[in-house]
Amino acid sequence: MKTDHHKGHEGTRRNSVFSIFLRGTPSLGFFSGWARFIPLTFVVLGMCFLLMRSIRVSAKEAVPRVQLHAENLGPREIEDLTSKSVPRDYALAWQTMEQALAENRPGLLDGYFTGIAKQDLTQRVHSQIKAGLRMRYQDNGHKLEAIFYSPAGDVMQLRDRVRLDVEVLDGGNVIYQEPLSLEYTVIMTPGADRWLVRELQASGGIKP
Amino acid sequence: MRSALTAFIVSVAALAAGATEIHAPAQVIAGNSITIRTTGSGEATFYLIGQSLASKRKVQAGSDIAVDSEQLERAGVYTAVLCASDGCTSANFVVKPAEPNRLSFLVHPSRVPVDSPNRISAVAFVQDNFRNFVLKPEQVKFSVLPKDGKEISTTRESENGVAWVRLSSSKKEGAARLGASIGHANEVRVVQQVAADACNLRIKSSRGKKGFVIETDPVRDCSGNSVPDGTVVSFTKVDEAGKATVDVPIKRGVAKVELPVEGRAKITVASGVVNGNELEVAGGQ
Repeated sequence: MKTDHHKGHEGTRRNSVFSIFLRGTPSLGFFSGWARFIPLTFVVLGMCFLLMRSIRVSAKEAVPRVQLHAENLGPREIEDLTSKSVPRDYALAWQTMEQALAENRPGLLDGYFTGIAKQDLTQRVHSQIKAGLRMRYQDNGHKLEAIFYSPAGDVMQLRDRVRLDVEVLDGGNVIYQEPLSLEYTVIMTPGADRWLVRELQASGGIKP
Repeated sequence: MRSALTAFIVSVAALAAGATEIHAPAQVIAGNSITIRTTGSGEATFYLIGQSLASKRKVQAGSDIAVDSEQLERAGVYTAVLCASDGCTSANFVVKPAEPNRLSFLVHPSRVPVDSPNRISAVAFVQDNFRNFVLKPEQVKFSVLPKDGKEISTTRESENGVAWVRLSSSKKEGAARLGASIGHANEVRVVQQVAADACNLRIKSSRGKKGFVIETDPVRDCSGNSVPDGTVVSFTKVDEAGKATVDVPIKRGVAKVELPVEGRAKITVASGVVNGNELEVAGGQ
């Protein structure tokens, strides 16, 4: 019922928009039949453009799904706030990394990476630029397991099981495309207002 | 059925024509060079994508491709792609860490009060020469070298590349050297053990030019270590004029202040959470 009502309402709105354009359309004789649809075509095209743009923007801004499991964590117990900020910052780190590798923008790595992880990824982006390559990820989610939290709370080690669809592009050509399940060993350390990825080492688990 | 047959014929024809293929070793140890075998013929482009690199070069399909050890220093998953006229083919392989020969050693805190049980945390991350995490269990030796004492050491097995230990500070102030070692790696950090809170805080008074000079005895902790200069001592005076508190840092082991007193006054002293003795003085006496 609700859906039908909604559809009916939309239909009315569409008619009213159509009638607005019809009002000012002069009679064109032979062409008048289709010529009066021209403004409507522009409206539809414009809407399609806006819709596609918004989809692209939201895809770019999508933060990967990260589930944190900290049941077996030790020796320090995870604090409530930390259990929220670690998966959030790890997801943001992946988002910026995926964007940096897709758009070859090393500056994006400054936000959530530090130490050897940042050094590696920056080097990777620079070599991608040199070779004319880009990397595209479709991130299908991370299962993040916290395995070590130092007694002083200054470092956390985690294991990430991630499913990715990876594409490598040389210019505009896709030269490699494969779904991968990877396992990463991750080291995160607290920064001024967030947790930073200090080490990101794939330790295997290549499975489609 | 017809399409399956066509696919089979195409595959056989491709094999007969020498289709481009790439064969990488399944596992490589970091810092070792490898050779990637290829099949096919003609000019091709070889791509190598890894943890910290993405390279591209022209090769001849069908020949062996040499990958330098410098390109395989970082552990992780690598993808080798070969693109020829008949399309692209790829192979993934894993670069495993080499033997452990390096430690990343974190000690916290850098200053610790004396006689604090399990207050020092020492964490060692086991790495190879290329700073890759060595995840298999390894023995890490932790040692404590007090200023004028005998070395104490213990060994811990690393788990997922991490070995850690908790330590208590000694009763005597001074620098302690904490070490962790594995293979040829020996990392040392220095922890400054400082006096704990003041203990038995006592004050005495004497006449000054404008009132009474109140001075502490040398301020020490319960183990007899001098509380460091700069530690704040609070003097509170209650007399007919009301209540006044003066914060004074310790200088050369003592804290001293001159207080004007009207009539009879009570003077107390405190440092942090520790209270000292109370004095009663009278102005004009």
